[in-house]
Amino acid sequence: MASVEIKGIRKLYGDVVALSDINISIPSGSFFTLLGPSGCGKTTLLRTIAGFHDQNAGRIEVDGKSIEGLPAYRRDVGMVFQDYAIFPHISVRDNVAFGLKQRKVLASDISKRVADVLEVVQLGAFADRMPHELSGGQQQRVGLARAVVIRPKVLLMDEPLSNLDARLRVDLRAELRRIQRDLGITTVYVTHDQEEALAMSDTVCVMHQGVIQQAASPLDIYLRPENRFVATFVGACNFMSLSKEGGQFSLKSSGAKVFDAAGFNATEIACAVRPETLRVASGHVTPSPEEIAIPAKILDVSFIGREMEVLTITDGGEQLKSLARPDPAIIELANGSSVTVLVKRDDLAFFEATEVGRRVG
Amino acid sequence: MIRQLRRPDFWTVVTGVILVVLVVLLLIPIIRVLLLSFVDADTLKWTLGNYVEVFTRNFYLKGLKNTLFVGFLGTLGACMLGIPLAFFTARFHLWGRAWISTLAILVLVSPPFIGAYAWIMMLGSNGFITNFFGRIGIETPTIYGAHGIVLVFTLKFFPFVFLMTQTALMAVNKSFEDAAENLGCTPLQRFTKITLPLVFPAISTGAIICFVLSIADFGTPAILGRGFRTLSTIAFSAYRSELGGVPTMAVTVSMIMIAISMLALLAQRRILAKRRYASSLTNLPVKTHLTGWRNVAVHGFCHGVVLIAMLPSLVVVYTSFLKTNGPVFVGGYGLESYGRIWRTAPEAIANSFLFATAAVVLITAFSALISYVIVRRETTASGAIDFMMMVPYLIPGVVMAIGFVTTFRSGFFGGIGAAWLLVMLYFIRRLPYGVRSTTSSLRQVKPSMEEAAINLGAPPLTAFLKVTVPLILPGLIVGSLMGFITAINELSGTLILYDAGSITMPVSIYLAVLDGEFGLAAAHSTVLLLCTGVCVYFVFRFTENRNSAFL
Repeated sequence: MASVEIKGIRKLYGDVVALSDINISIPSGSFFTLLGPSGCGKTTLLRTIAGFHDQNAGRIEVDGKSIEGLPAYRRDVGMVFQDYAIFPHISVRDNVAFGLKQRKVLASDISKRVADVLEVVQLGAFADRMPHELSGGQQQRVGLARAVVIRPKVLLMDEPLSNLDARLRVDLRAELRRIQRDLGITTVYVTHDQEEALAMSDTVCVMHQGVIQQAASPLDIYLRPENRFVATFVGACNFMSLSKEGGQFSLKSSGAKVFDAAGFNATEIACAVRPETLRVASGHVTPSPEEIAIPAKILDVSFIGREMEVLTITDGGEQLKSLARPDPAIIELANGSSVTVLVKRDDLAFFEATEVGRRVG
Repeated sequence: MIRQLRRPDFWTVVTGVILVVLVVLLLIPIIRVLLLSFVDADTLKWTLGNYVEVFTRNFYLKGLKNTLFVGFLGTLGACMLGIPLAFFTARFHLWGRAWISTLAILVLVSPPFIGAYAWIMMLGSNGFITNFFGRIGIETPTIYGAHGIVLVFTLKFFPFVFLMTQTALMAVNKSFEDAAENLGCTPLQRFTKITLPLVFPAISTGAIICFVLSIADFGTPAILGRGFRTLSTIAFSAYRSELGGVPTMAVTVSMIMIAISMLALLAQRRILAKRRYASSLTNLPVKTHLTGWRNVAVHGFCHGVVLIAMLPSLVVVYTSFLKTNGPVFVGGYGLESYGRIWRTAPEAIANSFLFATAAVVLITAFSALISYVIVRRETTASGAIDFMMMVPYLIPGVVMAIGFVTTFRSGFFGGIGAAWLLVMLYFIRRLPYGVRSTTSSLRQVKPSMEEAAINLGAPPLTAFLKVTVPLILPGLIVGSLMGFITAINELSGTLILYDAGSITMPVSIYLAVLDGEFGLAAAHSTVLLLCTGVCVYFVFRFTENRNSAFL
């Protein structure tokens, strides 16, 4: 158990900035996830912590001690790899014992610790198997056992579930989280899967183009995104265009005044709303005071089981997607039918209209 | 921010060591040879005179012409045997296909000069085929001279074209051919417009290998030439006659040989630059059954070619068991030849094994390290090492050996024994075999394997030995075996470097052939063939793709 401080890390590949002034503080025992699209720098940051390459500037501290200058093999951070990296030429037992042998642990202690950790990952019966006799999910459990058996100060996981099929991924996700809690080991987890990040983490850190966009609890990331990139990358968003009159912004599609900010032009502000907050009603509906009504027509309805996805188009030509519990009255509407899209004022979010524009209201 | 100075890491040190070894053993000798070719032998001043002499004197021009002549014709012959053989074995069901490939591989690895003198025993002035036809009054053409050399090159080098073309043919996606047929091509059009262009890169690569090896070959023209001189025999005899002086003419001729090889290679690169066909093997080619006379003809051709190509080796083995009295075959069978090699030159056998083994130990160690540096470290140095691994293929043995003499027999390195020089020569000339095989093995191993080991606390060397080496072991073994086969069969460079105490089997064979001691030569050759065969067997055991292991 250890806290991790990352201070001002910069990493360049030639002229390309892979990491730009990264500052992170990870409390002891917490589960910290780096989330972002491929190429955002999350894996680079993880590998920098592991010591597989040097940063150009900045320092990494574990429990207040800098680990810069320590080569990768003396950093004492466990790592779980995307492609498992289970040594194919030695047994499961020898794989798990590998790190302990490097640390010159007594043979009797090694066999005890290996047996214990294999029980934890539910592979006690597989100790003498060779890796090729295991399924992908089992191999990744070996990978986890091998990384935690050395009792590292920090556990690093590089998209450990991305090579597994969907159902196994969900099962193993819960198990990873349980083991991490039981061991209380500080964990840095890399993924591009937002659902995985939200489900597992104490803190989600969204990265884009080598820059941290927001680091917060899953709930804050989803409900209170700090910038437009976070809002669009985590969960889906509808964007609605605004018009400006005398310091007041109103929705073009309904004329309702929604935002008061004198300092911006209409095109500089984006208005976002989550699909699951939109309500679609048949025909013309009068909104309650906290709601705005937008007249629209049905473009497409797809029923996907536990919910329905309704795509509508406003009179101004804007497409709005709504996600709601299936309602036969809506599903059976013909394309082109007139509907009213209802949105609560509180559910609207306003961002500067750049890719990473900050939230303004 | 002040950055802590770290000790240079393990692989940086290894890269440095590799570079030093390659510079000393490869670059310096070659540069020495290059520089010497611009030196006047008498005045020791810089001059272009040597090149002027080579390009004006008839003796050298004839040699250049002869070299190109047998090189081109030998390559052409190899293509004419190799390409049909590849098509037949890849596209038709043939009885004994594995047998054909195995024989072709044995031809490929058997000592190169054995072919030459075995043909003398068959078609020479006292050869048994010559005598047989002589008795019934038919005069057979002599084996000596240009056409004999072309015959030997053709039968010796066709496996390169055969194996490379066959591998390519088996990787051509059948959908291409199906599409051509669907678009209206007749089988012949389909073959000439689609299949042949698709395997052309492989054919041209095989042909270039044949050409470069033909240019560099010393044993065949030396044994069969009889006045027909090629650049390699000229360089060798020039070196011999300049002994004690500065071997300027020998190195100048050598530079011409290197230039020809490099031009051939550049030409091939240009040809290949625009032809890269990535192929996904979704739809494997199928083989068809032949019937009637076609079936007989194809079988006859395929088995005929490999059997004739194997004939020299069979003759050699047979001859080694003939009863001899001195150099004379006295009729009947006996082990006198083996008795004589054991009595007169046991050191040749011992030396051959000792030098080749020592070289292979070095090859194995350096192959593992070099392939790691090439595959895992993307630095300028690793690129340079990768490039330098091409060089030994281009440098004929005679040239490399002259480079060694001029570099290590005098001055700073002076006094290194011939045995050591031979080990070093075999090491540097055969290193690329090991590196190539090991490199392709290592490319199959995911880098995360070593990272996992390091992450678990293994220092770089430990991670390399405990994880990387076990995973690349098959490639390492195959590469080392190939290095051993080619090292123990080395003739041309050895002839220049050896002294009384460091004679090897190929040299003994060469000297015995020159003396007309065919029984003695055959016994030595059989020992060489036997140990080559054993190595081939083990290569087969350790490799999945038999063809590519030998190319």
